[in-house]
Amino acid sequence: MARFADLVVSAVLLAGLYATMAYGLGLIYGVLRVVNLAHGGVIMAGAYVGWVLFDRLGVDPYLAIPVVLVASFALGVAMYHVLVRRLPRGAAGGPASLLLLFGVWLVLRNIAYLVFSGNDRAIQTSYSSRSLAILGTHVSLTRLVVLAIGLVLAIGLHLLLRRTLLGRAIRAVAQNADSCTLVGIDVERIYLLTFGIGTALAGVAGVLFATIFSFNPASGASELLKSFVVVVLGGLGSMSGVVLAALVVAAAEVFAVLILPSYLTTAVGFLLLVLVLVLRPGGLFGHRVLA
Amino acid sequence: MTAPHIPRAIARADEDAGRRPWPPKPGPGPGRIAPPLVPRAIARPFLAACAILAALPLLDLSLYTHNLLTRAYILIAGALAWNWMGGLVGQVSFGHAAMFGVGGFVAARMMLDVHLSPELCWIAGAIVAGVFALGAHPLLRLRGPYFSIATIGVGEASRVVFTYWERFTGGATGLSLPIDADFQYQLYWWALGLAAAVAAASVVIRRSSFGLKLLAIKADVDAAADVGISATLYQDLIFALSGAVVGLCGAMSASYNSFIEPNDTFAFERSIGFVLMAVIGGIGTSLGPALGAAVFVLVDTQLLASYPKLHLGIYGVLLIAIVLFEPLGLTGIGRRLMRRVRRPAPPVASPAERA
Repeated sequence: MARFADLVVSAVLLAGLYATMAYGLGLIYGVLRVVNLAHGGVIMAGAYVGWVLFDRLGVDPYLAIPVVLVASFALGVAMYHVLVRRLPRGAAGGPASLLLLFGVWLVLRNIAYLVFSGNDRAIQTSYSSRSLAILGTHVSLTRLVVLAIGLVLAIGLHLLLRRTLLGRAIRAVAQNADSCTLVGIDVERIYLLTFGIGTALAGVAGVLFATIFSFNPASGASELLKSFVVVVLGGLGSMSGVVLAALVVAAAEVFAVLILPSYLTTAVGFLLLVLVLVLRPGGLFGHRVLA
Repeated sequence: MTAPHIPRAIARADEDAGRRPWPPKPGPGPGRIAPPLVPRAIARPFLAACAILAALPLLDLSLYTHNLLTRAYILIAGALAWNWMGGLVGQVSFGHAAMFGVGGFVAARMMLDVHLSPELCWIAGAIVAGVFALGAHPLLRLRGPYFSIATIGVGEASRVVFTYWERFTGGATGLSLPIDADFQYQLYWWALGLAAAVAAASVVIRRSSFGLKLLAIKADVDAAADVGISATLYQDLIFALSGAVVGLCGAMSASYNSFIEPNDTFAFERSIGFVLMAVIGGIGTSLGPALGAAVFVLVDTQLLASYPKLHLGIYGVLLIAIVLFEPLGLTGIGRRLMRRVRRPAPPVASPAERA
């Protein structure tokens, strides 16, 4: 039973990270209808920015989050302005946007490889191995912090979308971009900002990822996959849905240890993706567009 | 009712295939509406090229070029087969390495355990790879980005499973195959034959009603369904075909190297390679991917051998540049040049004439 409690706790803790990884992908897809295939690459890049700040300048990774937020926002804005803006809109842009953003991912990967070499890196702080006793199980401090930051980001994003003028504009564009131009919303600017915010969130997820797991330039494929599962499962765009879906994905992965040989657990994310896409393509909680 | 979709689907598919608009204008007689499956303008140069390439090793061909060409033929077949799925149906797969690997390993196992002739082993590998592709049937319900991301998953999952399935694949050490040097040399013609057959198949598929149906599915699944084209059936068919051909490529390539190893065979980079070859050559065109594969092999061996660290970055930049500036890749550039040659700029009257 103690083992069961352990698994539940670690699933909850992992869910915070998965939710954070998924926010950006979901936001961009919800508004621009573009699947950001460079998402995994941005997560990887964010991890490296956090690592550089920590390793070279001694900045605590969690204090580095604002820096990463700004840096990856700038990256996102640049990506949109230089590349994504030029894509054909609508269904015709489908394969083109996939290939384009996939190219961006390859370039990010190559840059990371050139600058940081292919070695595995991890952010090891003085408190990385510390743990707290909660519910009779030992909980790693970093994982707890990651969960907390993930929840803060969820609430922040929720408030941004629900309570601010920008958020209302973003939701309006997600629903009907053409009508937005009629009421004077600069749709192009909303797209730009949304893409920036989405990549900024992915960058932050990268820092959080780096404080728990090791990473290298090739990281990102399974992160993209898991983010995508969470977004599809969560019903594209509702914050509470994303958090719940992240919990489901994390739990599936953690509990798979009980029934599957360890090497197959990496394939769980994929299995889940196929199951979700085939059984519930509208998500667990129905299809809602950026509620 | 949904009847109004019918002309739309057909017209779009026709437009894509570069055929006459629908409904056809009444011609001079009761002649055929559909163009011949293989036009003479293509058939003759194609056969001539094949004959020349087949005769090359009989002349004085260096071993280096021999090797380069053999690898190019195998990749040409793979890229063309990828294009059936990615180009004709518009379902971009980032996981074709899975079929490449399955075909390769099944053929390798047959060779080692059953001791059949290599040709039979290849066929077995191709069939199993085709069936494996059919296993992706649930994925084919997905469209666009959903399908593409799912294929990333298939590719990665099969790499993991096959790497750990040591009894079958030999794990990270891989399998060595009993291929003698003579057969390895003869593989040149097998690979050329495969590439030629797949190229011919590409042209025929593209110009047949089957290809037209695939294009209709790409243009508008719902409209295609309205005129009785089952997206599920035709996508399954073409995906299995594409998988079988790519599996055959994997099997041949394993024989040619007389070695196969899961991490390299199932590598994500290999899947990316198929995408790139098709995109460079011209995604969705019948023979563009063959050109793309040839360029890919050249770039891979000539340029990237000197800059191995820039491998992915160069491919990434290429992808971005092609998508932004010339979505049809080399074929698009070629067509532009042809247009310029055929329709030269209107002659500017010289000052003397004006006067």
